[in-house]
Amino acid sequence: MTAEHSNESSLPDAGRNAAQECAAIEADLERLKALFNDAAGRLLGSFNEFASLEQQTSRNLEERKRIESAIGSAVTALQFQDMATQLTHHAQRRLAALEICLRSLYGEVPGRGILEHPQPVRQAEMSSGSIDLF
Amino acid sequence: MHSILAVDDSASMRQMVAFTLKGAGYNVIEAADGQEALDKAKAETVDLVLTDQNMPRMDGITLVQNLRSLAGYAATPILILTTESSAEMKAKGKAAGATGWLVKPFDPSKLLDVVRKVIR
Repeated sequence: MTAEHSNESSLPDAGRNAAQECAAIEADLERLKALFNDAAGRLLGSFNEFASLEQQTSRNLEERKRIESAIGSAVTALQFQDMATQLTHHAQRRLAALEICLRSLYGEVPGRGILEHPQPVRQAEMSSGSIDLF
Repeated sequence: MHSILAVDDSASMRQMVAFTLKGAGYNVIEAADGQEALDKAKAETVDLVLTDQNMPRMDGITLVQNLRSLAGYAATPILILTTESSAEMKAKGKAAGATGWLVKPFDPSKLLDVVRKVIR
């Protein structure tokens, strides 16, 4: 078998393999979302339990300030689930579009271009976002 | 007691918003999307609406447009709390009649500062 023939025969397989990889990554991302949801639910449950008990505890002014600050930081950080889920969902949609694009090359599905999906999450850290009053 | 309608399709976000606002003495009504929020806004009067942008059934900007056409909501403060931070989306929110645009994640003390500033 010549190198040229080898390349010709492996190209369709490479495309199909790539489409299968896309589908596998989409499934992995779905499991990642489930993990985020489960972890966030557990964290929120513990957070609510702590906050409820804390309200019943008498503290001096200095302690109250420190606890309020810690709770505030926790509220900001606990929003990770919403942002991570949106970002993961966006990645899944792009992978699905790529998978369809690859499969269309072999006539397995009707062809269409990669869809434009606006990126909803630009943040790369959990510090609080900007505020604009109109 | 002032009532605030908190709109977000994420249950955890609604929980964080409600925790923050209730802790400051506000009554919080929750809705999981724009359509549910619109229905609740028609059923009872609220003093402020705090809504996400990207939601199923009805997004935040469409909710703002619909609320502004309702009697009693022409001057009600409406804040959009979202991961979206582009100038283009903010301009759309402003054009629809939103009072302000807050990018997630929110800091509870800063959110309360804004709420106290805009609420009647």
